[in-house]
Amino acid sequence: MTGYAIVLASGRLERLQAVSNIASIAAVSDVPVDVFATMDGLEAFDKETVEAMDFEMGPIGEAMLAAEDVDMALFTENFERAREMGSIELLACELSMDMLGKDLEEYVDLFDDVLGVSGFLNRAQDKQVIFV
Amino acid sequence: MSETTYEPDITIDSRGATCPGPLMDLIGKVKEAEPGTVIELLTSDSSSSHDVPEWVDETDHEFLGVEEEEDYWRLFVEVV
Repeated sequence: MTGYAIVLASGRLERLQAVSNIASIAAVSDVPVDVFATMDGLEAFDKETVEAMDFEMGPIGEAMLAAEDVDMALFTENFERAREMGSIELLACELSMDMLGKDLEEYVDLFDDVLGVSGFLNRAQDKQVIFV
Repeated sequence: MSETTYEPDITIDSRGATCPGPLMDLIGKVKEAEPGTVIELLTSDSSSSHDVPEWVDETDHEFLGVEEEEDYWRLFVEVV
């Protein structure tokens, strides 16, 4: 298996950050990574949500955002950087989008494609699947 | 500033950034640098200070060492 296929189904900031950190370093280390954002995980990329930083979070998320002496890069920034530097693709789940009647324009511009289950499974064939 | 044992060709100042920023900064530079280049990474993030040698050890590049300052670390990597 070469690489990771990460299903990002959670919209909690801690999980978004953890996935973006791991995916980003893997990608810039030339490990192929696909991140399939679905359900709450896709909604976290909504432009208005990101603008307002309106994420579900617990104490770690709050500490990350409140920390004054450090500059924490938001998951969106990590993904953007990883896309420029390495082998990563972000895919948006078609079903999730359809349920809310939304299209890709309403999410931050980080997605390479819109896919369904088969599309994801095809890409995941040679990768290790991680479900978050 | 204290004197360093190594002579860096490039210094990356990632102080203030948290994981994965400093390591990403380093990897970016390592990828574009010529073999033989000594890169110094300044980081105030303790997880990055441990992560850098871990990352370097998995590559062909050489981790030269780390010097600890009062509130940050200096990490030295040689591109191979």
